[in-house]
Amino acid sequence: MFSKKKVYIYIFVLLIVVFLDFWIFSNIKSTFVKITNDNNKNIVTLIDTVHSETDYNKWVKDISAKYENLSIIYLNGVPGFDDLVTYAGSEESLEFYQENSESKDFQNGLEYASYSEIYKSQNKFIYDGKNIDLYFSPVYDENEDIIGVGIYLFDNSENESFFNLLNIFAVGIIIIFAVIMYISKFTRDPVMSYIILGLFIIVGIFVVYPLYEAVRLTFIKNGVFSLEIWKTILTTNQYMEAFWGSMKLGLMTATISTLVGFLFAFTLSRTTVKGKKFISTMATLPVISPPFSLTLSIILLFGNNGLITKQLLGMSNFSIYGLGGLTLVQTMGMFPIAYLTMVGVLQSIDSTLEDASLDLNASKSRTFFKVTLPLAAPGILSAWLLVFTNSLADFANPLILSGSYKVLSVEAYIEVTGMGRLGNGAALSLLLLLPTVTAFLIQRFWVSKKSFVTVTGKPSGRITELVSKPVKITLNTLIILIIVFLIGLYGTIIAGSFVKNWGIDYTFTLDNFREALQRGKEAIGDTVTLATVATPIAGILAMLTALVVVRKKFPGKRLMEILVMVPFAIPGTLIGISYILAFNKPPILIVGTAFIIVINYVIRELPVGVESGVAALRQIDPSIEEAASDLGADVPTVFRTIVLPLLRPAFISSLSYTFVRSMTAVSAVIFLISAKWYHITVLIYNFSENLRFGYASVLATTLIVIVLLAFGLMRLLVRDNKNLEKTIN
Amino acid sequence: MIKTSASVKLENITKVFKDPAGKGEVTAVNNVNYDIKPGELITLLGPSGCGKTTTLRMIAGFEVPTGGKIIIGNEDVTQLPPNKRDTATVFQSYGLFPHMTVFENVAYGLKLRKVSKSEIEERVIKTLDMVGLKHLAHRSPSRLSGGQQQRVALARSIIVEPSVLLLDEPLSNLDALLREQMRVEIRRIQKSLGITAVYVTHDRVEAMSLSDRVVLMNAGKIIQTGTPSEIYESPDSKFVAGFIGKVAFLDAEVKEISDDFVTVKLQDKILKTHKFSSDVKTGEPAVIMCRPESMKVVEENKGHINGTVKTNVYLGNSVESFIDTEHGEILVQIDNPSQKKIYTEGAKVGIEIVPELSKVLRNN
Ligand SMILES: Nc1ncnc2c1ncn2[C@@H]1O[C@H](COP(=O)(O)OP(=O)(O)OP(=O)(O)O)[C@@H](O)[C@H]1O
Ligand SMILES: [Mg+2]
Repeated sequence: MFSKKKVYIYIFVLLIVVFLDFWIFSNIKSTFVKITNDNNKNIVTLIDTVHSETDYNKWVKDISAKYENLSIIYLNGVPGFDDLVTYAGSEESLEFYQENSESKDFQNGLEYASYSEIYKSQNKFIYDGKNIDLYFSPVYDENEDIIGVGIYLFDNSENESFFNLLNIFAVGIIIIFAVIMYISKFTRDPVMSYIILGLFIIVGIFVVYPLYEAVRLTFIKNGVFSLEIWKTILTTNQYMEAFWGSMKLGLMTATISTLVGFLFAFTLSRTTVKGKKFISTMATLPVISPPFSLTLSIILLFGNNGLITKQLLGMSNFSIYGLGGLTLVQTMGMFPIAYLTMVGVLQSIDSTLEDASLDLNASKSRTFFKVTLPLAAPGILSAWLLVFTNSLADFANPLILSGSYKVLSVEAYIEVTGMGRLGNGAALSLLLLLPTVTAFLIQRFWVSKKSFVTVTGKPSGRITELVSKPVKITLNTLIILIIVFLIGLYGTIIAGSFVKNWGIDYTFTLDNFREALQRGKEAIGDTVTLATVATPIAGILAMLTALVVVRKKFPGKRLMEILVMVPFAIPGTLIGISYILAFNKPPILIVGTAFIIVINYVIRELPVGVESGVAALRQIDPSIEEAASDLGADVPTVFRTIVLPLLRPAFISSLSYTFVRSMTAVSAVIFLISAKWYHITVLIYNFSENLRFGYASVLATTLIVIVLLAFGLMRLLVRDNKNLEKTIN
Repeated sequence: MIKTSASVKLENITKVFKDPAGKGEVTAVNNVNYDIKPGELITLLGPSGCGKTTTLRMIAGFEVPTGGKIIIGNEDVTQLPPNKRDTATVFQSYGLFPHMTVFENVAYGLKLRKVSKSEIEERVIKTLDMVGLKHLAHRSPSRLSGGQQQRVALARSIIVEPSVLLLDEPLSNLDALLREQMRVEIRRIQKSLGITAVYVTHDRVEAMSLSDRVVLMNAGKIIQTGTPSEIYESPDSKFVAGFIGKVAFLDAEVKEISDDFVTVKLQDKILKTHKFSSDVKTGEPAVIMCRPESMKVVEENKGHINGTVKTNVYLGNSVESFIDTEHGEILVQIDNPSQKKIYTEGAKVGIEIVPELSKVLRNN
């Protein structure tokens, strides 16, 4: 592999490429410099004549004002013959002249000028914090006699940044070339190495780089390192209020959601109750409900013109906006997460343990508190942490329901889009990261391990009734109430889209549909288009990443696993802000394009796809893939003909999740949309901001329909899985 | 159908694994050298964990050796990935493609080689016929018996006419009877195609009955190679003798070594055994290696050692007599039992060692 000859050839070729690369780029640079110089000289010769009676001060000022990147200092008199009088446009230029007038360049410049020649300084000068090119040129009067010397200060900082960019490209090309040549010459399976390299590049550019930019920005003020932003954030009441606001909301939502989730999980797994299937469907429905939909119906029911608060109860000073309303809507939206987490845990607790306790004459309630609850504890904690994380990261609900109550995600959004304070916005969303990631890590690495220890294994078939009759009735009543409320909420959105003017005029109409779909046509089209483009990319990338992570050994594998998972743990607001920070400038300028939205979808939905791919791949005997490659298939062929078909269920579910989540995205995408590429969820937000609740309801209903269709299609495709029986190792 | 089969050369092959759990290292294969001739079937035989699979996987290209070279034909393939090597593997777990029919499974390799559709059809049917599965071509592999799946795996490998066929315990998931059938079949197909084959097994009967040559491994090293009879009859060490067949070792002292014979002293008796290539030296302690068929049961005090019959196991064409002696329990095989005297259990007997069939080994 590393034979001497190969290494020599490698080094030799690389040297040649480095040489060529630098040669080409220095040529480009010098050509560019020459063009600027010529340009500058032209300007100099263009303005080297002045009427002897002019007000030189004014002349100097006029020129500096006329040319954006030029300041001029005029010395009246011929050097060597007259005393020179200095006319500078400003204090700074005068100071600059006085500081440098003794330097060699200035002496030469004046001498050249007195011989009627233009002189360009050899050394670098800095003026007003910027690099400048300095020209000395004679100034003539109307008789073409030299009457003085002009010193021209051309700001070339634009060039500097252009050269920096060129340098990045030059070095980048060499690195890319070196790596590609290294891989093709020295690695055993170049195709695989390219894939791994490609994955690293993708997560490097679209995960690491934006986050780095976001963090960097919070430590910079006026181009230098500074802790000012953080000081501001941590000492300003408004921001800290938002932080505690988020925490308080998170605590409330997590606690209530966990209680409600447990109510459902316990009733469904530990008691006999009719209609289990229906209850569990209802309890999972909100997971896939689009953003704003629940908030919208809460406003329609309890808002200032709410059906219940205003029309039925006649309350006039009740406000749903704020902590109470937020907790309500988040709980309705997030208790399914808690339910899903806990129902799995409860089901896998062997109910013979409870039987044993009952046999020992413990009462039912004692059994519940001493056996069931402790066994389920890790699952409960896990559920709580998951909801907490979700509540903190939630953006859509507080955006329209928070009123004067402050939460971090919305505050960050306002800082960025309302105030244009990107640094503060980035810092606030980073602040959000702290509790979110802590909770995520605890959940991931501590609780999820614990729950494996306590849970015994397969779901037990028979259930021991653990509750007495009155308790059971209470539980069932609560569940019925919650489900009725949930159905009411969804019904309200649908009703809202058919009503003329909610709160005032409840006549049936189809105008909302006509109008909203007319106005939302393009947004819907954009959203569907972008989601459709992102979906297969995310799906294939996810399965490819899963393949690489499960089956291949390579340096930095652990790092890649972590980086791929990162977008799952961080709030969308942070991703959105870091994307506009990183991609609104060279070398990657994609803000405002469809590309940035697609990439954002892909990166955000990748973790879920990778997880399901990894889980599925672990079930597949590796010798199936080995057999394929043994028969002559290269990595892409193995992937296409073996891995993808075998991962079909995981693949399809990851496709539909990506599609649905992209369609319903809001927290990151709201920063990335442009006039050209709009998003349906943002339009819903705009409609509800302008109190066009009818239109908003129509779009929300449309989204719900699209989501249900996508999931229905997925179910259909996954079920059609006849001849795919996995061999399990 | 046959193209020229290739030789395989292993030069100083070493494979070190990082211990997945700790920071330690496992030397799975330790400096292995071996040449396999074209068209030959060799078995890698050895106890569990001795590095057989690892060696095979390095030949296939699934693992890269930590050191050494692998040469197939005239090409150094050490660094080539599996898809660039002209090898085909039959996996222990078969590794059939569950989403394809039997036909598609077998056709897979040919499709990759861009063979025309009609030729694929023809060759797949022919190969399936060869393994006796023509009638099942359009079934899904999950609805085949273990033996049938095994045949599909074999067909899938041989259809691409690899220069080397690699088999990793291909029969270990089958029951005894089927295993015997498949063994014969594999040998027949391998011979008729003249393909070079490496067969991994830890079953000595399988190794003996199949191979041209046996490579015996232990703890990552080759400890002896040779034809089945060489290995069986003249093992180099007690380990090989014990691994390759039932055997008893009797402590003895080497008295004299001549061109053809080795004279040893077993307690007060002198034996003259055939000399096989072995590094025993005069005056050193040694052992006599006694196979069940190289001993006879005789009257007490008539043989070389005495003992008591513990049990007799009737196997039809022979009886295995387990005899307690001061050297431990010794198994003697009595052929044609109907024509011989069988001592009852508990009887005091003597054991006679047939010198021509026995071998002296160094006691290590
Ligand atoms: N991927 C691996 N990582 C670490 N150690 C390994 C790996 N593969 C094999 N080993 C170790 O290398 C040694 C040899 O393994 P190998 O699979 O070659 O044994 P084997 O002779 O095929 O055994 P068996 O008859 O049980 O299949 C074992 O100690 C095993 O634990
Ligand atoms: Mg093995």
